[in-house]
Amino acid sequence: MAVKRKIIKERVPTPERPAEERIKSFVEVNLGYTFELAVKEAERCLQCPYNYAPCIKGCPVHIDIPGFISKLVEYRDDPDKAVKEALSVIWTCNSLPATTGRVCPQEDQCEMNCVMGKVGDKINIGKLERFVADYAREKGIDEELLFEMIPRIEKKGQKVAIIGAGPAGLTAAGELAKLGYDVTIYEALHEAGGVLMYGIPEFRLPKSIVESEIDKLKKLGVKILTDHIVGRTVTIEELLEEYDAVFIGSGAGTPRLINAPGINLNGIYTANEFLTRVNLMKAYLFPEYDTPVKVGKRVVVIGAGNTAMDAARSARRFGSEVIIAYRRGPEDVSARVEEVEHAKEEGIKFEFFVNPVEFIGDGKGNLKAVKFEKMKALDERDSRGKRKIVGTGEYVTIEAETAIIAIGKHPNRLIVNTPGLKVERGRIVVDENLMTSIPGVFAGGDAIRGEATVILAMGDGRMAAKAIHEYLTKKRENGNA
Amino acid sequence: MYKILEKKEIAMRNTWYKVHAPHVAKKVKPGQFVIVRAFKNGERIPLTPVMWDRDEGWIVLIVFTRGKTTARMANELKPGDEILNIAGPLGNPAEMEKFGKILAIGAYTGIVEVYPIAKAWQELGNDVTTLHVTFEPMVVLKDELERAVGRHVVETVPIDPNLDFPTNMKNVTKRLVEKVREMLEKESYDLVFMVGPTGDQKAVFEVVKEFGVPMKADLHPIMVDGTGMCGACRVTVGGEVKFACIDGPEFDAYEIHWDELIARSGYYTDMEQRAMQEYMKLIEQALQGGEQ
Repeated sequence: MAVKRKIIKERVPTPERPAEERIKSFVEVNLGYTFELAVKEAERCLQCPYNYAPCIKGCPVHIDIPGFISKLVEYRDDPDKAVKEALSVIWTCNSLPATTGRVCPQEDQCEMNCVMGKVGDKINIGKLERFVADYAREKGIDEELLFEMIPRIEKKGQKVAIIGAGPAGLTAAGELAKLGYDVTIYEALHEAGGVLMYGIPEFRLPKSIVESEIDKLKKLGVKILTDHIVGRTVTIEELLEEYDAVFIGSGAGTPRLINAPGINLNGIYTANEFLTRVNLMKAYLFPEYDTPVKVGKRVVVIGAGNTAMDAARSARRFGSEVIIAYRRGPEDVSARVEEVEHAKEEGIKFEFFVNPVEFIGDGKGNLKAVKFEKMKALDERDSRGKRKIVGTGEYVTIEAETAIIAIGKHPNRLIVNTPGLKVERGRIVVDENLMTSIPGVFAGGDAIRGEATVILAMGDGRMAAKAIHEYLTKKRENGNA
Repeated sequence: MYKILEKKEIAMRNTWYKVHAPHVAKKVKPGQFVIVRAFKNGERIPLTPVMWDRDEGWIVLIVFTRGKTTARMANELKPGDEILNIAGPLGNPAEMEKFGKILAIGAYTGIVEVYPIAKAWQELGNDVTTLHVTFEPMVVLKDELERAVGRHVVETVPIDPNLDFPTNMKNVTKRLVEKVREMLEKESYDLVFMVGPTGDQKAVFEVVKEFGVPMKADLHPIMVDGTGMCGACRVTVGGEVKFACIDGPEFDAYEIHWDELIARSGYYTDMEQRAMQEYMKLIEQALQGGEQ
């Protein structure tokens, strides 16, 4: 392969809808590549050998990135073939590429390590992945691949229950179904998808795309029971009587609140409530959809992760002035770079080094303003490598009718309260195979991590599926099937 | 999808639905609720299973027509139709202990939530008196409660057509408070329990407090998911923030921050009215269309 390559330093950009237009609707912001643009970007890839490729090492699910990118170039004269070949490479590691192509923090993972970064722009891996998934879906190529795959699956005759239809649970379900297990997902909400449905807004991840990814799992034979709350409708003990193994992918369902006076005033939402109303219940279409949401003229979002960006950008689409208030500095913002840029383009302002100390009411139970203490950073760093911060004793008040708290979540208490399940600081404890303290019960995603990203949860789902497969293989061999 | 096996209007603005929901019927205990999403564009609303059959897999919901979603349910759903989602059971079951002499109060359709709990308390050996205060045409479950508990008292208020609905409701509150005072003066109770609008719960609590009787209140704050995920239903109890869906719905009335709860319950009233008005307009249009 000693072909001499011409190095193209600049990334092929993906078209985006202009900011002034997109703040008026929930339609997707990024428009994605066409085949021609995707091939142009794919050609920039240096094709590092598999064993070396640093992008693969940076990917929590280890997708063969040069492998799928090369297919686009190799079959450039036959777009359908190119996409089919590329998708079959991706699918060996990732069943939800339309989702991860949109929501992964690529700059901290695959793209962070890209060798092209030493001489120019890194390869736009996320958008290429998204292109493959979108093109395949639009042309029915994913269905075709699935159709070829299904008859080759050898049924194992063992049953696995999955708790939660979010990224971890869906991934584990997909992998286990491909291995021939009989998989049933128990989902508390009325729709599968977890955070992909209730948390991430339509303008970043259209719900029709999540639905189509879930449909593929159903075609693989995965059963999904919505409206079933594990811990109430059915317990883990009961699941163990019926299933050979259980995977907990229940996420970080409980919002963290701020311990400050006035936290229960009207107008103060947790990001979970706000985003659930807007995304899952479509409150932006009220009164055509029955669920209301109130977004004041001035909105303060507290926190600076992806959830905070999602909440802020959603609030902006109601015509409000939005400020993101964060107790640390810009270097500690944990949201994806693309989301922060999009937020700024959409006119959202940032206030750094401010920590909320009081929510001030209007005397009728409604929020009027938020009082913050100004903070300053020290040189000392905490365990996560972030600079420690201290209060300055100076205060600033921001007027707002709506405050959205986006400072993180704890795992759902209904699951954590299972007898015999070892839990530390609200998180389920697992061994190196993701098995919990209950034999046959595995866990992954935010239920064990606290709060992380979609792709880390999917990585856990994949790893757990592998561990469950080994566990059940042993069980079969011992004659317990 | 959950099939409606029976549907009937059992009193003014009170509709009875017998629904196939085996996953709930199998597990539900008195004091628990379900979240119902009846239509694709409908809200998720908390409702209480009033009766159930574990073997046959059905539950009974009695729904008070209050806003757009419940009005649509009453108008649009027919027996044989399906309710899109019924999630549950949710919330903690009511404490089943021998408390002694209990006064269990239901205002308006709140009595339907009192019913399974009061029945179970009576079966456990408590001496249960139930009190139902509502408008005259809205009495429900009278015979069932008379059979289930030691004594069932119904207090009704006529609807004065010259007054608006909020003023009429004030008359119910007045009668409710008078009746509770009268009952507590006459006999001593070991526990008072109440379900009903938050304002009425607070009014009753003010009376009960004077007599120093322990009181539990079954709360109905605004909810979205019902599983502890959103925090919409948060309520301050004993100075701590609790989620009614997973910590409740039942709390010690002496510990509840009532005024905060009342303010939170009314946050969407204006939007609910708007949704209802638009819905009424649609119905009027449909009726006019039908007359042509």
